[in-house]
Amino acid sequence: MSSYPPAQPPYNAPPPSWSGGPNQYYGPPPSNYLVWAILTTIFCCLPLGIVSIVFASQVNSKWAVGDTQGAYESSRKAKLWAIWSAIAAVILGAGYGLLLAFGLANADWSGVTTTY
Amino acid sequence: MTTVHPGSTAEARPRSRVVAVAGPLTVAAGALGAAALLGRVDPHVPGFYPTCPTYALTGLYCPGCGTLRAVHDLWHLDLAGALSMNPLAVLLLPAVLASWAAWLARAATGRPRRWLAPPWVPTTLLVVVLVYWVLRNVPPLMPYLAP
Repeated sequence: MSSYPPAQPPYNAPPPSWSGGPNQYYGPPPSNYLVWAILTTIFCCLPLGIVSIVFASQVNSKWAVGDTQGAYESSRKAKLWAIWSAIAAVILGAGYGLLLAFGLANADWSGVTTTY
Repeated sequence: MTTVHPGSTAEARPRSRVVAVAGPLTVAAGALGAAALLGRVDPHVPGFYPTCPTYALTGLYCPGCGTLRAVHDLWHLDLAGALSMNPLAVLLLPAVLASWAAWLARAATGRPRRWLAPPWVPTTLLVVVLVYWVLRNVPPLMPYLAP
Protein backbone atom coordinates (compact mmCIF):
# COMPACT_ATOMS: atom_id res chain seq x y z
CA MET A 1 0.00 0.00 0.00
CA SER A 2 2.22 2.82 1.19
CA SER A 3 5.57 1.49 0.08
CA TYR A 4 8.62 3.55 -0.90
CA PRO A 5 9.33 4.02 -3.71
CA PRO A 6 5.69 3.97 -4.76
CA ALA A 7 4.65 1.16 -7.03
CA GLN A 8 4.39 1.89 -10.71
CA PRO A 9 0.87 2.80 -11.77
CA PRO A 10 -0.91 0.29 -13.95
CA TYR A 11 -1.30 0.98 -17.64
CA ASN A 12 -3.70 3.85 -18.40
CA ALA A 13 -4.32 4.57 -14.74
CA PRO A 14 -5.70 8.07 -14.20
CA PRO A 15 -3.24 10.60 -12.74
CA PRO A 16 -3.86 11.46 -9.09
CA SER A 17 -5.56 14.76 -8.45
CA TRP A 18 -3.54 17.33 -6.49
CA SER A 19 -5.71 16.76 -3.45
CA GLY A 20 -5.74 13.00 -3.80
CA GLY A 21 -3.23 10.45 -2.69
CA PRO A 22 -2.04 8.36 -1.19
CA ASN A 23 -3.82 5.99 -3.45
CA GLN A 24 -2.91 2.39 -3.96
CA TYR A 25 -0.89 3.12 -7.09
CA TYR A 26 1.16 6.13 -6.09
CA GLY A 27 1.65 6.08 -2.34
CA PRO A 28 1.76 9.30 -0.32
CA PRO A 29 2.86 12.51 -2.07
CA PRO A 30 6.44 13.64 -1.39
CA SER A 31 7.21 16.63 0.79
CA ASN A 32 8.00 19.75 -1.22
CA TYR A 33 10.00 21.25 1.70
CA LEU A 34 8.39 24.57 0.78
CA VAL A 35 8.46 25.84 4.36
CA TRP A 36 12.19 25.11 4.66
CA ALA A 37 12.70 26.86 1.32
CA ILE A 38 10.82 29.92 2.61
CA LEU A 39 12.69 29.91 5.92
CA THR A 40 16.10 29.70 4.24
CA THR A 41 15.10 32.49 1.84
CA ILE A 42 13.89 34.73 4.63
CA PHE A 43 16.49 33.90 7.30
CA CYS A 44 19.61 33.13 5.29
CA CYS A 45 19.30 36.19 3.10
CA LEU A 46 20.79 34.42 0.12
CA PRO A 47 19.41 33.76 -3.37
CA LEU A 48 20.00 30.01 -2.80
CA GLY A 49 16.64 29.70 -1.04
CA ILE A 50 14.92 30.86 -4.24
CA VAL A 51 16.27 27.77 -6.04
CA SER A 52 14.72 25.61 -3.34
CA ILE A 53 11.34 27.31 -3.88
CA VAL A 54 11.60 26.57 -7.61
CA PHE A 55 12.13 22.85 -6.94
CA ALA A 56 9.36 22.88 -4.33
CA SER A 57 6.88 24.17 -6.90
CA GLN A 58 8.07 21.47 -9.33
CA VAL A 59 7.10 18.82 -6.76
CA ASN A 60 3.49 19.99 -6.78
CA SER A 61 3.20 20.46 -10.53
CA LYS A 62 4.80 17.09 -11.35
CA TRP A 63 2.67 15.29 -8.77
CA ALA A 64 -0.45 16.94 -10.18
CA VAL A 65 0.17 15.51 -13.66
CA GLY A 66 1.03 12.07 -12.32
CA ASP A 67 4.81 12.26 -12.70
CA THR A 68 5.51 10.47 -9.43
CA GLN A 69 9.19 9.76 -10.15
CA GLY A 70 9.81 13.37 -11.16
CA ALA A 71 8.00 14.69 -8.09
CA TYR A 72 10.24 12.61 -5.80
CA GLU A 73 13.33 13.78 -7.68
CA SER A 74 12.30 17.46 -7.32
CA SER A 75 11.54 16.83 -3.65
CA ARG A 76 15.10 15.56 -3.13
CA LYS A 77 16.56 18.62 -4.89
CA ALA A 78 14.37 21.05 -2.94
CA LYS A 79 15.65 19.49 0.29
CA LEU A 80 19.30 19.64 -0.86
CA TRP A 81 19.13 23.32 -1.86
CA ALA A 82 17.44 24.28 1.41
CA ILE A 83 20.24 22.50 3.31
CA TRP A 84 22.98 24.14 1.21
CA SER A 85 21.36 27.52 1.71
CA ALA A 86 21.34 27.00 5.48
CA ILE A 87 24.97 25.77 5.49
CA ALA A 88 26.08 28.77 3.42
CA ALA A 89 24.39 31.10 5.92
CA VAL A 90 26.11 29.37 8.86
CA ILE A 91 29.50 29.60 7.14
CA LEU A 92 29.00 33.31 6.35
CA GLY A 93 27.86 33.96 9.93
CA ALA A 94 30.84 32.07 11.37
CA GLY A 95 33.19 33.92 9.02
CA TYR A 96 31.77 37.23 10.22
CA GLY A 97 32.25 36.10 13.83
CA LEU A 98 35.90 35.22 13.10
CA LEU A 99 36.48 38.60 11.44
CA LEU A 100 35.08 40.29 14.53
CA ALA A 101 37.19 38.12 16.84
CA PHE A 102 40.39 39.05 15.00
CA GLY A 103 39.41 42.69 14.79
CA LEU A 104 39.38 42.69 11.01
CA ALA A 105 35.80 43.88 10.94
CA ASN A 106 34.63 46.70 13.11
CA ALA A 107 31.60 46.18 15.27
CA ASP A 108 30.93 49.90 15.01
CA TRP A 109 29.54 50.23 11.53
CA SER A 110 29.52 54.01 11.46
CA GLY A 111 27.11 55.14 8.81
CA VAL A 112 25.71 51.63 8.34
CA THR A 113 22.72 51.39 10.63
CA THR A 114 21.38 48.19 9.14
CA THR A 115 22.06 44.83 10.64
CA TYR A 116 20.34 41.78 9.33
CA MET B 1 -7.18 -3.37 18.18
CA THR B 2 -4.24 -1.70 16.51
CA THR B 3 -3.71 -2.19 12.83
CA VAL B 4 -0.25 -3.43 12.04
CA HIS B 5 1.04 -2.04 8.78
CA PRO B 6 3.18 -4.14 6.50
CA GLY B 7 6.87 -3.84 7.18
CA SER B 8 6.46 -2.87 10.80
CA THR B 9 6.11 -4.98 13.91
CA ALA B 10 3.78 -4.01 16.70
CA GLU B 11 6.73 -3.51 19.08
CA ALA B 12 8.76 -1.33 16.75
CA ARG B 13 6.06 1.25 16.14
CA PRO B 14 5.77 3.10 19.51
CA ARG B 15 9.52 3.71 19.77
CA SER B 16 9.75 5.04 16.22
CA ARG B 17 6.79 7.30 17.05
CA VAL B 18 8.77 8.91 19.88
CA VAL B 19 11.73 9.44 17.54
CA ALA B 20 9.41 10.96 14.93
CA VAL B 21 7.87 13.46 17.40
CA ALA B 22 11.37 14.45 18.55
CA GLY B 23 11.95 16.15 15.17
CA PRO B 24 9.20 18.79 15.31
CA LEU B 25 9.71 19.30 19.05
CA THR B 26 13.46 19.91 18.61
CA VAL B 27 12.76 22.41 15.83
CA ALA B 28 10.21 24.21 18.05
CA ALA B 29 12.68 24.37 20.95
CA GLY B 30 15.40 25.73 18.67
CA ALA B 31 13.06 28.33 17.16
CA LEU B 32 11.85 29.47 20.58
CA GLY B 33 15.44 29.71 21.81
CA ALA B 34 16.44 31.79 18.80
CA ALA B 35 13.40 34.04 19.22
CA ALA B 36 14.21 34.51 22.92
CA LEU B 37 17.80 35.49 22.05
CA LEU B 38 16.49 37.96 19.45
CA GLY B 39 14.09 39.34 22.04
CA ARG B 40 16.89 39.97 24.54
CA VAL B 41 19.72 41.07 22.22
CA ASP B 42 18.24 43.78 20.02
CA PRO B 43 19.06 43.39 16.30
CA HIS B 44 18.05 47.04 15.77
CA VAL B 45 21.41 47.87 17.35
CA PRO B 46 24.23 47.07 14.90
CA GLY B 47 27.26 45.07 15.90
CA PHE B 48 26.14 41.76 17.36
CA TYR B 49 24.44 40.08 14.42
CA PRO B 50 26.10 39.81 11.02
CA THR B 51 24.80 42.15 8.33
CA CYS B 52 22.82 40.43 5.59
CA PRO B 53 25.47 39.19 3.13
CA THR B 54 23.34 40.14 0.12
CA TYR B 55 22.92 43.68 1.44
CA ALA B 56 26.57 43.96 2.43
CA LEU B 57 27.76 42.85 -1.00
CA THR B 58 25.21 44.51 -3.29
CA GLY B 59 23.54 47.24 -1.27
CA LEU B 60 20.18 45.76 -2.23
CA TYR B 61 17.56 44.60 0.25
CA CYS B 62 16.87 40.87 -0.12
CA PRO B 63 13.52 39.23 0.71
CA GLY B 64 14.87 38.38 4.17
CA CYS B 65 16.30 41.75 5.19
CA GLY B 66 14.70 42.90 8.43
CA THR B 67 13.51 39.46 9.52
CA LEU B 68 15.63 39.39 12.69
CA ARG B 69 14.32 42.82 13.67
CA ALA B 70 10.77 41.68 12.85
CA VAL B 71 11.18 38.63 15.14
CA HIS B 72 12.53 40.91 17.88
CA ASP B 73 9.49 43.18 17.52
CA LEU B 74 7.10 40.21 17.54
CA TRP B 75 8.76 38.87 20.70
CA HIS B 76 7.83 42.19 22.32
CA LEU B 77 4.31 41.97 20.78
CA ASP B 78 4.98 44.98 18.52
CA LEU B 79 3.12 43.85 15.41
CA ALA B 80 3.29 47.27 13.70
CA GLY B 81 7.05 47.40 14.21
CA ALA B 82 7.45 43.86 12.82
CA LEU B 83 5.36 44.70 9.76
CA SER B 84 7.49 47.78 9.09
CA MET B 85 10.66 45.65 9.17
CA ASN B 86 9.63 42.72 6.95
CA PRO B 87 5.91 42.54 6.10
CA LEU B 88 6.24 39.38 3.98
CA ALA B 89 7.96 37.42 6.76
CA VAL B 90 5.23 38.42 9.23
CA LEU B 91 2.45 37.50 6.78
CA LEU B 92 4.02 34.09 6.07
CA LEU B 93 4.47 33.24 9.76
CA PRO B 94 0.94 31.79 10.25
CA ALA B 95 1.48 29.44 7.28
CA VAL B 96 4.81 28.31 8.74
CA LEU B 97 3.19 27.63 12.12
CA ALA B 98 0.31 25.71 10.48
CA SER B 99 2.78 23.60 8.53
CA TRP B 100 4.68 22.84 11.74
CA ALA B 101 1.42 21.76 13.42
CA ALA B 102 0.63 19.45 10.49
CA TRP B 103 4.16 17.98 10.73
CA LEU B 104 3.69 17.32 14.44
CA ALA B 105 0.29 15.72 13.79
CA ARG B 106 1.72 13.43 11.09
CA ALA B 107 4.60 12.44 13.39
CA ALA B 108 2.31 11.80 16.36
CA THR B 109 -0.23 9.72 14.46
CA GLY B 110 2.24 8.02 12.11
CA ARG B 111 -0.03 8.73 9.16
CA PRO B 112 1.75 9.63 5.93
CA ARG B 113 1.20 12.92 4.12
CA ARG B 114 -2.16 12.77 2.36
CA TRP B 115 -2.43 16.16 0.74
CA LEU B 116 -0.29 18.28 -1.53
CA ALA B 117 -1.23 21.87 -2.32
CA PRO B 118 -2.31 22.59 -5.91
CA PRO B 119 0.64 23.65 -8.11
CA TRP B 120 -0.37 27.31 -8.24
CA VAL B 121 0.33 27.72 -4.50
CA PRO B 122 4.15 27.32 -4.55
CA THR B 123 4.33 28.97 -7.99
CA THR B 124 2.46 32.03 -6.71
CA LEU B 125 4.71 32.13 -3.67
CA LEU B 126 7.80 32.09 -5.89
CA VAL B 127 6.45 35.02 -7.93
CA VAL B 128 5.48 36.90 -4.76
CA VAL B 129 8.98 36.51 -3.28
CA LEU B 130 10.68 37.66 -6.50
CA VAL B 131 8.34 40.64 -6.98
CA TYR B 132 8.74 41.53 -3.29
CA TRP B 133 12.53 41.46 -3.73
CA VAL B 134 12.31 43.99 -6.59
CA LEU B 135 9.64 46.23 -5.06
CA ARG B 136 11.39 46.72 -1.71
CA ASN B 137 14.33 48.21 -3.62
CA VAL B 138 12.12 50.69 -5.50
CA PRO B 139 12.58 54.06 -3.72
CA PRO B 140 8.89 55.12 -3.61
CA LEU B 141 7.94 51.81 -1.96
CA MET B 142 10.87 51.65 0.47
CA PRO B 143 9.00 53.30 3.36
CA TYR B 144 6.55 50.38 3.29
CA LEU B 145 8.54 47.35 2.18
CA ALA B 146 12.20 47.98 3.09
CA PRO B 147 13.40 47.57 6.68
